[in-house]
Amino acid sequence: MTSYSNGGFFNPAYHDSETLEIDRRSSSKTPLHTNPYARGEGADGHYSTGPISSDDALRRVPRGGWQEESWRGRESLPMGHISTRPRSPSWQHDINHSTFQIPPDSQYDRSLSIRLPSTTSGNMTMRRRGITMRRMSMFPNGDPNHVAFTEDAIRNEMDIEEQNLVKELVALSTRDRIWAIRDLPMSFDEKKQIRSQVLAFKSAKKSRQFTCFADCSENMSLSFRRCGYGIRSARQTLELWQGIMKEIGGTFGTSVLSYFVFLKWLLMFNIFSFLVNFGFITIPQLVYSPWPNISPNVSFRGLEILTGAGYFNNTVMYYGGYSNETKVHLADYNMQLAYFFTIAVYMVLCGIALIFSMASSFKTNYVLADPASNSAWQLLCSWDFNITNDKAVRQRKNNLRVQLKESMSEKAQRERITLSESLKHFGVYLGAWLLSTSLAVGSGASIYYLCQFEQQRATDSANWSLLQEAETLLVPFVVSLMNLVVPLFYSLFNKFEHYSSQRKQIYALVVRNVLLKMSILAVLCYNWMNVVAVKFSCWESMVGQALYRLVIVDFLFLMLGSFFGEFLSNVIGTKLLPRLGVPEFDVARNVLELIYAQTLAWIGIYFSPLLPAIQILKFFILFYLKKVSLTQNCQPPRRSGRAAQMQTIFIALLFFPFFVGAVSMVAFTAWSLTPSEHCGPFRGLNSTFNVVEVWMVHLEETSSSQWVVWIYQNVIRSEIFYFLISLIIIVIIYIFWQVTRGRKLLIHVLRQQIVNEGKDKSFLLERLQNLQKSHPDKRSKQKNPKKHSKRRPDDHSSGGQSTSNAMVQALLARQQLEKEEEERLSTGGVPVPSDISSSSALIQAMQARQRAEGQERDEHYSAGYYESPTNTSSAVTQAMQARQRAQVEGTDDASDPTSSVSSVMMQVMQARQRAEEEDRPQWVPAPPQNRASAGSSALIQAMLARQQAQNEYDDGY
Amino acid sequence: MGNKQTTFTDEQLEAFQDCTFFTRKEILRLHGRYRELAPHLVPLDFTNSPDIRVPPTLIVTMPELKENPFRDRIVETFSEDGLGNMSFNDFVDMFSAFCETSPRELKTIYAFKIYDFNRDSFICKEDLQKTLTKLTKGDLSPEEVSLVCDKSLEEADLDGDHKLSFSDFENMVSKAPDFLSNFHIRI
Repeated sequence: MTSYSNGGFFNPAYHDSETLEIDRRSSSKTPLHTNPYARGEGADGHYSTGPISSDDALRRVPRGGWQEESWRGRESLPMGHISTRPRSPSWQHDINHSTFQIPPDSQYDRSLSIRLPSTTSGNMTMRRRGITMRRMSMFPNGDPNHVAFTEDAIRNEMDIEEQNLVKELVALSTRDRIWAIRDLPMSFDEKKQIRSQVLAFKSAKKSRQFTCFADCSENMSLSFRRCGYGIRSARQTLELWQGIMKEIGGTFGTSVLSYFVFLKWLLMFNIFSFLVNFGFITIPQLVYSPWPNISPNVSFRGLEILTGAGYFNNTVMYYGGYSNETKVHLADYNMQLAYFFTIAVYMVLCGIALIFSMASSFKTNYVLADPASNSAWQLLCSWDFNITNDKAVRQRKNNLRVQLKESMSEKAQRERITLSESLKHFGVYLGAWLLSTSLAVGSGASIYYLCQFEQQRATDSANWSLLQEAETLLVPFVVSLMNLVVPLFYSLFNKFEHYSSQRKQIYALVVRNVLLKMSILAVLCYNWMNVVAVKFSCWESMVGQALYRLVIVDFLFLMLGSFFGEFLSNVIGTKLLPRLGVPEFDVARNVLELIYAQTLAWIGIYFSPLLPAIQILKFFILFYLKKVSLTQNCQPPRRSGRAAQMQTIFIALLFFPFFVGAVSMVAFTAWSLTPSEHCGPFRGLNSTFNVVEVWMVHLEETSSSQWVVWIYQNVIRSEIFYFLISLIIIVIIYIFWQVTRGRKLLIHVLRQQIVNEGKDKSFLLERLQNLQKSHPDKRSKQKNPKKHSKRRPDDHSSGGQSTSNAMVQALLARQQLEKEEEERLSTGGVPVPSDISSSSALIQAMQARQRAEGQERDEHYSAGYYESPTNTSSAVTQAMQARQRAQVEGTDDASDPTSSVSSVMMQVMQARQRAEEEDRPQWVPAPPQNRASAGSSALIQAMLARQQAQNEYDDGY
Repeated sequence: MGNKQTTFTDEQLEAFQDCTFFTRKEILRLHGRYRELAPHLVPLDFTNSPDIRVPPTLIVTMPELKENPFRDRIVETFSEDGLGNMSFNDFVDMFSAFCETSPRELKTIYAFKIYDFNRDSFICKEDLQKTLTKLTKGDLSPEEVSLVCDKSLEEADLDGDHKLSFSDFENMVSKAPDFLSNFHIRI
């Protein structure tokens, strides 16, 4: 993904160089790098004393001791440059916000928070990030630039930041504020402090304002919040299976846990639908006619529990058990409308819930996912902190090791694949796909014929013999058997195919299973709507029964499945064929089974409103069953697949073919099929939807609800409305699509920019190395670079590297000078740029010379301790060259002296003064570290001067 | 609270609820867990916020952390003194960052801190090597470790400085959807 020339970054100096950062930091108010070290430095500015190496400890004790001088040397310089720079320095900051103690106009604050909540919160985040960064960059070994602040300045700065934060928090609404405080990356004590400050501020403001309304609203929000906490606590208590979830997650990891989470989620759907159906359809029916009209010759025989026929036929279990009357008791209750709207609203709500969870899941899990970074991901993101079981931990460690080794050898393997091999692979894929598709189609066809056979034998009579009743179990049995056996074949095919990644393998498996289940369900639906609907007098109940049977038999087979799928293979794996090993829990297969089961329930909701009750029972038992089966028979998964993505796919699958299929089946039934004439709430109507038309006709008579009729006539029934709506949606989709494309482009550009920055850095270092190589005679004596490379990589503030940076800068300056010269020659001499260039050249020369002198002096005084001849010599050559050039230019451009010269002179004077100041302490024999830092500071000065010259150059235009 | 002895005042609990992702009940449960670790050290009554720190050797015996390869780093990262001695506030902080509702941004920050063994605010090769040895029980040969670390650095390092800054890490995490569910400890 990232490709850059790696010329420079093997140089240790590369990692330490802070050139770019220094430039950026001084020019922007908030540093670009987020550094997560928010803690350690509290507001009181004491340093944390963690388990630090002695090396760290030295750097962490900047005040006092023999190191003092070196720190002074470093500190004095950025201080200087800050004050010379035209940015708003921290003291101004201080003045701006020192008014904090006086509460600002509260009216203003309030109105702001009302008017621009999004902006405020946006700023908020920025500020929070800013604070984090600022606090982090105060870390002693972070950045030499910030060491510049004395302790007081740091404390000041932090206080101000904190106060700013508090001010912003006060402006937010209560709820936002709590969230904002929670999200702060600080320790609890700091958060608490900020919170108390905010509250104090608020109460102060309130006492000032003291209107009844504000008081009330405050109280209201407080009580609402308390209420919210109460609800949250209650919900947590009601949360199902917390302990079991923890146990499973601890032993098997998140990927297996996702199955159980999914199961629980579906269970919630069913509980909701049961409550809705039971509340709005069944209870009214039971209230008005508590006893179903069961014909006296039908008795309960026990088989009904499996078949759902016979005794159950006329109960509220099925469509047929509901009446079409408008009950007049305490209030009018129209059963037809209740039935229709309950089902419709439930379906719509389900759809919305699915779409929302799918969209959010896609947003977080799929769109952003990037398969490219694999081993970094494995190292830093794949460890499952959930896992608490020692065996699981050991196994996971093993698996990770194997995976890493595999990934290392993978590249070599991939190259070895020849044409014939790839052809062979292709052949296997083709064969497997053909076979699996034909299996799916074949099972669909066989079920079709089986259904026809069954319809021929079945009679439309109220009471069946026991044998007849048992015969009805044939179709569900075959269907479930196919659902159990065919996927095993698919898994078998999968063993022969060679997929390049595990993900592709799982996708292939999932697609095949979905095809199978879809074809089976499609055949069944076709049969119900075209054959059953014509043949039986109360056909909806017949379909309801068929679905009941399917749900029950499917449940039995799920139990069998976990017996065969997990228990048997465990026995085989441990006793008979140890080669196979203990089975893993197949999340994909099990989740697809759940999806299938849920689809049955969705289809059945129209025909059998109480089917969700059965489903709840089923899922409830299934949860414990699977849990036992898992802990007894399975081992943790060998591969830590990307579980979150799989979960997204499963939700998407649940929505797209299955839920949409179920809804269209129900919608088709409601719109186009004639309800049975003698039973059910819709008897006597042409179609179920007619109930709405009848209602509308009824409403038209009463004048009070004309608007409902109007909406029905002009919105629901008008094509124009739907046409317009779809047109608008298409336009919006198109716009968003374009926006997305633009963003993608932007991301690409930004990424390229980052890579380029890296390239720049390494290029500069390469230049530096070349320069060093050009003085081989001196280099042979020199020990500096070696020493440097041995230094800890986090030692940013070592002097040597900033010297090198400065030299790179000097080099660049020279280059630029040359360029400018060329330009000038070609354009025929524009006065201003020539001025600037000559001035910048002058600065360069002066600085370089100064530095050279300084270093010479240093060398003179410290020859016994330390050598830095290369730097000096190169600096000398630099100085000489630059000076020469400057002189040449000076003679060329002497005719137009302008004001810029004077400013340059001032710069130079300042720089020189400072350099001298810095040099002074070094006259005292000091430890070797400070030598370079003084030189470096002079060089940084040079850089700054150069920058300024450039600014002036820009202003000149 | 009824006739039970009060552990926290209402104000304290409210502060906890406002500043962490836990409810009152969870806070009390956490207190129970904290007290379990060192019953002789931790009093039942926290109303006057006693300054008590449980040493890291006791903290890592929690079943939630016992088998975690990063347990020492986690404890160090969340303790105020950086040595792993945890006050109750630190303890709550730790599980608040690891809980399900804490946002990606916060988790990323703390994960970065945990992986940054030498606290230089960069995940460098050294840190990666330590991570890898913790994750693989040290079964890989030094060359393999080095190879894997180089590869990971190359993949995740955007600005080419051969170590992972926080923004590199953030970028990587944003592409790893599992991170959120993985960086989660159920209490």
